[in-house]
Amino acid sequence: MTPISPAIRKALRLLAVVVVAFVLASCADDAELDTLGEQLAGPEARDIGSFMTWILWICYLVFAIVLGITLYAWKNFRIKTDDYEEGDWPEQVHGNTTAELAWTAAPAILLAVVAVFTLGLHSSLNSTDDNAISLVVGEETVAWEPEVVVVGQQWWWEYQYHFGDVDLVAKRVENLPAADLTTATQMVIPVGMEIELEITSRDVIHSHWIPSLNGKRDAVPGRQSAPWKIQADEPGVYFGQCTEFCGLSHSRMRMQVIALPMDQFQAWVTAQMEGVALDAADQAYVDALVAGDTPTPENSTQRAIATFRGKCASCHLMENVADDLWSSERVAEQLVSGVAPNLTHFSSRTTFAGGIRNVWDPDTGLFNANDVRSWLQNPESIKANYTEPVSEGDSRMRGMPNLGLSTQEIDDLVALLESTGPKPSPEIITETGVE
Amino acid sequence: MAIIEEPLAIGSGDAVSETVDRPLGDLTRPQISHTWRDWLSTVDHKKIGIMYGAAALFFFVIGGAEALLIRLQLATPNGTLLSPDVYNQVFTMHGVTMIFLVAMPMAAAFANYLLPLQIGARDVAFPRLNALSFWVFLFGGLFLNSAWLLGGGADGGWFNYAPNSTVTFSPSHGIDFYALGLQITGIASLMSAINLITTVLNMRPKGMTMFRMPVFTWMNLVVQFLLLFAVPVISVALFELTFDRLFDANFFNTEAGADPLLWQHLFWIFGHPEVYILILPSFGIVSEVIPVFSRKPIFGYSFMVFSGIAIGFMGWGVWAHHMFVSGIGPISVAAFSLSTMFIAVPTGVKILNWLATIWGGRLRFTTAMLFAVGVVSMFTIGGLSGVTHSIAPADTQQTDTYYIVAHFYYVIFGGTLLGFFAGFYFWWPKMFGYMLNERVGKWNFWLQIVGFNLTFGPMHILGLQGMSRRIDSYDKGFGFELWNLVATVGAFIIAASVALFLVNIAISRRQWKAAGSPNPGPDPWDSRSLEWMTASPTPEHNFDEEIEVEGLDEFWHRKYGYDENHHVVRIATAEEVAQDGSNTNVHLPSPSYFPILLAAGFPIIAYGLIFSLWLCIPGAALLVYGMVGWIFEHPDDPNAAHGHDHDHDDDDPDAIESGGEEEDQGELVVAGATTETEA
Repeated sequence: MTPISPAIRKALRLLAVVVVAFVLASCADDAELDTLGEQLAGPEARDIGSFMTWILWICYLVFAIVLGITLYAWKNFRIKTDDYEEGDWPEQVHGNTTAELAWTAAPAILLAVVAVFTLGLHSSLNSTDDNAISLVVGEETVAWEPEVVVVGQQWWWEYQYHFGDVDLVAKRVENLPAADLTTATQMVIPVGMEIELEITSRDVIHSHWIPSLNGKRDAVPGRQSAPWKIQADEPGVYFGQCTEFCGLSHSRMRMQVIALPMDQFQAWVTAQMEGVALDAADQAYVDALVAGDTPTPENSTQRAIATFRGKCASCHLMENVADDLWSSERVAEQLVSGVAPNLTHFSSRTTFAGGIRNVWDPDTGLFNANDVRSWLQNPESIKANYTEPVSEGDSRMRGMPNLGLSTQEIDDLVALLESTGPKPSPEIITETGVE
Repeated sequence: MAIIEEPLAIGSGDAVSETVDRPLGDLTRPQISHTWRDWLSTVDHKKIGIMYGAAALFFFVIGGAEALLIRLQLATPNGTLLSPDVYNQVFTMHGVTMIFLVAMPMAAAFANYLLPLQIGARDVAFPRLNALSFWVFLFGGLFLNSAWLLGGGADGGWFNYAPNSTVTFSPSHGIDFYALGLQITGIASLMSAINLITTVLNMRPKGMTMFRMPVFTWMNLVVQFLLLFAVPVISVALFELTFDRLFDANFFNTEAGADPLLWQHLFWIFGHPEVYILILPSFGIVSEVIPVFSRKPIFGYSFMVFSGIAIGFMGWGVWAHHMFVSGIGPISVAAFSLSTMFIAVPTGVKILNWLATIWGGRLRFTTAMLFAVGVVSMFTIGGLSGVTHSIAPADTQQTDTYYIVAHFYYVIFGGTLLGFFAGFYFWWPKMFGYMLNERVGKWNFWLQIVGFNLTFGPMHILGLQGMSRRIDSYDKGFGFELWNLVATVGAFIIAASVALFLVNIAISRRQWKAAGSPNPGPDPWDSRSLEWMTASPTPEHNFDEEIEVEGLDEFWHRKYGYDENHHVVRIATAEEVAQDGSNTNVHLPSPSYFPILLAAGFPIIAYGLIFSLWLCIPGAALLVYGMVGWIFEHPDDPNAAHGHDHDHDDDDPDAIESGGEEEDQGELVVAGATTETEA
């Protein structure tokens, strides 16, 4: 019929140029979650990435063949007429069994080759090795085969560390032994070591994914992941995102992995095993409260401690400040997941609010008091939560409600949270920036 | 001239009409008329097919509007157009609408209209059941979408994984609408599958052996078998979900000890055959369009048919590739990885056979041909990215990212939807008696292909850059900004092209009227299969007389022969060969109101289950009334409603009664009439 006009041809050529320009422009992007390319930092992710790159080239080739044949046919076999009676009839070929068998066999053979490599990579991803390291935990030195329990709940990740030789197969997370250490939204690992992950969930299905280190694995309630692992070859910050749709704030459920050299990891463990460090007067204030007295708070820290114990401690644990008030039964009455982030070392972390806000400003290196303040004023303004009662007779919530804190209470709490420390290193804080 | 095999001729209307003269509470059986009421009571497979198509287009506009909302929300980082809650409803309803209320019924539209014609039959095996399928589907679809007005749509994604779908995590009624609505549309799919399978197996005229059926008919036969076995699985899962949500049945409640992977297995054992349910009809359309506009027969007919059957079988063994990261064991993952890889083989055969068909042909790039060739290249991209997912290790990086989204749009849009557009432009004159404007059609195609690639092409990059699916917003700094904006621009180009298609329908019709409504003739494209061997638009009775089939592409072989040098020569014009549809002495099944009445019972029961169980009583009563009335409905009157141009008094009940007693039925027994009483 009508051939493509020169104008359209010109437009198509222009379009092609624009597309190529866009592709080149996008390559320059700093994509923290990229699954191919330079910033892959773990052996698993790199193996997958390079295999995938090969496969993509095969795909480009196959597509080029199909498109090439189509365009060749277009150019050479086209009849430019509106008259359906016009033109001759080509030879009526009904098929060619040899050719058809050949192009049935060819892709089958190609795929068989791909399958062999696939199975090899698949089995290496699903193997684990024994690599116990010795770690000083509290007073004693333990042999620890790095293993972290990863627990998803709406809409944040919890990481449990069980040091020593502990059996971590329990199906339901509530049946696991008490963890030595618990963090939220951020997993800290020693660099250059294979870390086994036991991934599970307390409510709906989530998926744990640190693209720079390895593929993802679902967090399924009532199940633990078959062995899954990550490894970072370089110290640094690696970003992740929940990738199984998990409800209202699925897009705001993120996490970071911080890989530290062994000595820094040991220091991190040591610090995390302690409660919040208070000065003598504040410690005495806490001790009095724990003993059942009602002393009057005399400074910002003491006011914050009082507020925390009154309004936060029914869900959040802060050791040496309010651990006497915390019980899992109490949390379970208020939250569907039955758990809220442990805030003991809040400011040792890089991220909060389900992993979407920085605790420390990556540009200035200062405590991100503004975002912490907004969060305390109204969590909804940062992250959608479900704070209506679930149903009649079930008043549990999913996410953090607005507690109606006064400006004074918020200022005090912000200062307390900033002091929980220890602050991450400046390099780590800088790396949490994504611009 | 009976278009029926012997066993079915037994038990024609006589016996019933003698014993049941005037059943209790019966409605007057309507006669074929040409008013709007006829559409409510029709049992004509062509009208039902057109209604399926119109309903699918209607839902397509709704689903398309939802798609544009999604793209607007994601055009820029931290979009605020939709709240997270509304976004989750919109993307869920978009997926559910497009799959269950657009792609499936659109395939049903083509299958309903064309299957009987392509095999040379008078109608489907069970005409009233066919009408029931349509009405049940339509009411199910409207019920599903009425959720928007009654507290909000489902918000768990079309895959609706447990336990996020339980009341605790989705307290609104949206998922109740989802579960009940899809059960209703599932009933429609099942009835339609049984009907079309029976039609193809039993109602072929003399000489139309299975391997003389067009590829389109074959692909749809495979699809109907897939539906027959896949829909019960999802229906069971949805039934369990409904009981979980309404009556605390605890099938999927993890707090009570359930394993959430149960839902995933049930869903994907349905869900993966579903993918082939969506794509195979389009493969069939492409296999019809390409030979016609290449002036060559389909290359390797039997390979095409058997690869379709192979896809149908293998489609049952790949479902767990949706679950590679769900924590099923490594051996399971490996097995499903391999099975998924090798389903690419029969698919690849199809692509190469299409290319071999156009190779050396005399190609005429009409709009239909453009869309069909578009399917070949665009689906190839989707097929290739599918192979990359089948590699389980790579899939651990890709699954639940936009790379998957890109993949299935290249399959379902680039394959299924472009195929439907090819079908519209190809069969429009046969269905409506006028051609769609080719100039506008080409704009339609190029806008579509550009918009489509701009929208979904960048999603490959976004996914590989780590953008997750089903997120209502994303932050700056992850490299997502540019391509999301491009995708949004592309989505609006697609919208423009779809609008252009609707405009094309209107202006083509106006131009045709202005030109004095010229008839396009039985065979405007110089085609090959039997549906072109009768007048356009297809007369009510399809064929004046039964066609005796001697081979594949029967119609073409009646028009063309070979000379001594084996060159193709014309031996007859289409007009000489085709039937003119003038026979008025054909007995057609009479219309019936019972299908629509019976179907209306389903949504009423469903509303009752959600809002007040009392409402189930009138719903069930309507259902039972519909069934009883159906069973005791007067059989056809062989003298009434014959053909398309009778001037019978439609509302005269005496005409029915007296007609029922006339004796000339013996020589007029045709498919619809005899099977009607058994439907």
